[in-house]
Order: sequence, then C-alpha cells, then structure tokens
Amino acid sequence: MRYPFSVGRSDFIQGDEAIARAAILAGCRFYAGYPITPASEIFEAMALYMPLVDGVSIQMEDELGSIAAVIGASWTGAKAMTATSGPGFSLMMENLGYAVMTETPMVVVDVQRGGPSTGQPTLAAQGDVMQAIWGTHGDHSIIVLTPATVQEAFDMTIRAFNLAEKYRTPVVLLTDGEVGHMRERVNIPDPDEIERIYRKIPKSKEQGKYPFRDWDGDGVPPMPVFGRGYRAYITGLTHDERGKPKTVEAEIHESLIRRIVDKIEKNKKDIIDYETFDLDDADVAIVSYGIASRSAIRAVKILRKEGIKAGLLKLNVVWPFDFEMIERIAERVNRIYVAEMNLGQVYHLVKEGANGKAEVELIPKIGGEVHTPKDIIERVR
Amino acid sequence: MTQIRIAGFGGQGVILAGVILGEAAAIEGLNVLQTQDYGSQSRGGHSVADVIISREPLYDVMVTKADVLMAMSQIGYNGAIDSLREGGTLIIDTDLVKSDREFIGAPFTRLAEEKVGLALTVNMVALGYLVAKTGIVKKESVEEAIRRRVPRGTEEINLKAFRIGYEEGAK
Repeated sequence: MRYPFSVGRSDFIQGDEAIARAAILAGCRFYAGYPITPASEIFEAMALYMPLVDGVSIQMEDELGSIAAVIGASWTGAKAMTATSGPGFSLMMENLGYAVMTETPMVVVDVQRGGPSTGQPTLAAQGDVMQAIWGTHGDHSIIVLTPATVQEAFDMTIRAFNLAEKYRTPVVLLTDGEVGHMRERVNIPDPDEIERIYRKIPKSKEQGKYPFRDWDGDGVPPMPVFGRGYRAYITGLTHDERGKPKTVEAEIHESLIRRIVDKIEKNKKDIIDYETFDLDDADVAIVSYGIASRSAIRAVKILRKEGIKAGLLKLNVVWPFDFEMIERIAERVNRIYVAEMNLGQVYHLVKEGANGKAEVELIPKIGGEVHTPKDIIERVR
Repeated sequence: MTQIRIAGFGGQGVILAGVILGEAAAIEGLNVLQTQDYGSQSRGGHSVADVIISREPLYDVMVTKADVLMAMSQIGYNGAIDSLREGGTLIIDTDLVKSDREFIGAPFTRLAEEKVGLALTVNMVALGYLVAKTGIVKKESVEEAIRRRVPRGTEEINLKAFRIGYEEGAK
C-alpha cells in the first residue's frame, strides 16, 4: 500500500492535516463533508488523498447530507468520517442519533470554534462538549475524545476509528480551532505498526439475519455489509433483533436502549484514557482537557516551583466519564479546579463526581484565546 | 525554550517564514509549535507567525514573552512590540520600521529587490538574517525546509534570498 504522504518518520503539520492522514492510515476510505472554518483543511486533505488510496471524498449539499452519506458508507463496509465545526455539528445532531440507534461505526470530527451560531469562525473554543455528549435526543451513550496536541490529534483519530469499529458506535473527535490550525512535529508511524480494529461481521447466515442481536454477550452485534448477501433492515425506529420496527413494546425498547448504553458504559475501563501530572501528592487538583490542558500543565509546573502542591488530571476522553475516579481524587485534595474554554461544561461532571468531598471551582475562558498559565495560576494560588 | 514572533503585514510571507523556521526545527528533532494570526484581508492587514522551539516537551500554545521579535513592517511592530521580553532580541526592517528600543536589522525589502531581484522574497531574506543572528537552527536545516515548503520551481530564488539574508546577519 502506497500512501500519498510520508510515513514512518516525523513531519511538521497542522492538526487538521494530521487528522486526515491518521484517518487514512486507520483505514478510512470514505469522507463526506461540507467546508467550514476551522475544519476545512481536513476536507482539503481528504479531497487530495482519497482518490490516491482508492477512497472517496465527496462534498455534500450540507452537513445533514454529509453525515447521512457517512452512515450509508459505513453500512457498505467502509470506515467513514466527516468533519465540521459548531454550526455544522448542530446540523448533524439528528443523524448522530440515527447512527447511535442503528449502531453505525463512524467518526465525526468537531473542530470547535466560538459559538453559539456562527460565532467566532477563526477562533478556538470548547463550548461543544455537552453537545457532543448529549446533543442528540433520547437516552444514549457515545464516545468523545479530546486531543491537546497535533500528535494526539493524530493518535486519537486512529483510536476513534478503532473504538467505533469495536463498539459499533459513532465516535466524536472533539478538537478545536487552535489544535486544528497549529503546526507541530508529529511522529507518523510505520503503517505496519498501526493497530487497526475492524468491526465484527456475521459468521453465518443465521447471524446475518439478526443485525441487532448480541450473540457473544459483549453487547456488540455483528454488522452485516450491504451487498454481501444479507437482507438487513435498518431503521431509526425502535427495532427488534432483526431490525424490524417495534415501536410500542416497552421491553423491546428497554433491551435495545440498555444494550446500546451498556456496551459503552460497561466498557468504560477500556475506553477511558487520561494522564496525570504531579497528582499523587497534590493538595489542589486541576482537571482539564484538550487545548486548555496544555496551559494547565505549565501552570502546575510553575505552582510546584512556588511550593504549592498542585496536580493535573488531563482527560483524553470526556465521555464515558469516570465519576468514581473524580470522587477518589476529591477525597485526597482540598479543592478541584476545572479549566476549560467555556462557561462550565465538564465542570458539572466533575462536580457530580466529587460528590461533595472537595470544593469544585471553574476556571472558564471564552473569546477565542486559550487560557494562559497565568489565568490558572492566579486562581489556584 | 525559545519564543519567536514574526510580525508584518499580509503579503510579506510572514507565515511561510514561520512555517519554514518551524519545519527546520522539526528536521533537527526539536519540539516545535507554530501558530498564526492574521487579518481576513489577503494583503495589507496584520500578520503574525509564532514559533516556539524547545528541547523539553512543549506545552505552551502561544508566545507569552518573545525572546526574538522580528518586525517586517511598522504595523507588525506596533502590534507586537509589547510581547518582546526585556532584553529580548528585536530585529527590524530598517527601512520600514521605526523603533525607540534597541534593535538590530537590515533593509530586508530593499535587499530582496536589489540583491535577489524579487521583492516577494523579503521573508526569506529576513529569515536568513534571523537564523544567522540567533543560531536557533542550523542553516542547512532551513535550506532543507525551504526546499520542502516553497512552491515548486521557486526553490532556487528562495534559497538565494535566504543566503543573502544569512550573509547580512553573519557580517
């Protein structure tokens, strides 16, 4: 396999470009999108690369069409992705729910900018966290990853595909305009060393008849591929294990939705990823993620030099959420600060997790600029 | 860690200069971050490229106190001068920028016009000067980065411009 970019060495590229290259290395061969700042460079790269790897990159009429095309592509067996920013992400909410309900593996990238509405097109924000988790209606669970560097944007894109395929679910890569547009040195591994997970497909005719039956007890049914011999019925309506609409039977709805939620929530340990900096002996904990966490790392280092025992929990996955871990931290520290580029979103999750065992305070920042280390230090000091 | 800010107006190739400097650092295996800020107009608005180079892991996301500020125009200088740390290196285009702070520099635009024969290469002339004066990356790494990053067919004239700036800075 020849790739239209250099592999097995480091390169100096933007976050958006890293996401596109990682997607292709993860096996993505279908991209549908609609241009929007600051996500357009992902589309530009996909338009350039896809024809060279026998893939498809298509511009749709809008973001509703983009995500719909991605869902369709996934059911033909392709690893598929779309990317957008706030306004487009809002338009995708309906079909994101369709993807959850039909258990369609796919990756949706949201390169966050200031909102609501068209907001601040060129500036970074982290205001879409709750939307990524809960933006689509109805009971559900989903996976949301939050890269802080160009390298993490690369690595987490590959992970997003693997999680999507493993758990047969849409995964949101929630990044921002700063990470999307910054250039950093990125290690692009040898393609043979990349772990790639592919969805389970039916092992028999019998399995193929039941695209929504949990055959092996892990909550993830094998997924038939359109055009390869199975007549699968796919609907957003509540459906039985064959996929047929069953919209009034409480027990069918309950078993379907509980399985869709549980396949993620019961595998939290496998999905959740985080890093800690100086947290073990800390009196004060900072929780942060994505671009804001970089300034938080610097802030912790400066606070430590001043003799303040600060530590950082950097979340790489903001959903599913480890409430129990936050409680364990809250039992050890006097106070938890949450630094995020919004007016309080993960803050509420942390507060729930802390369960009254420690004070939880928000260090918000909006307007487009990332927190400076000073913004954080002055609050903690 | 070294924080470098290059400031000018749109059309001077400020961002490409920052990208090439960053690429050179990446070629040397250093940790490097490059970001940019510019007006929405394609020419004439402010244009700023930030480059942070570090041997340690790099967490910073913006230039907070520039160790080196290179101002290629007055508009760039006015917007960026406050970000230069005390004792930091100020490099200016001596024809285009007036400053009451201590500075070094050369008439980059004039050198590009007269010695290279193409005013568009002012960014490479200025970059050559910066690299010679600061030694932040090796000359050869920048030349490799130029070959990778400039439009095909313009490698030689950009390399020529870079070397002219470098010689000026090495004087």
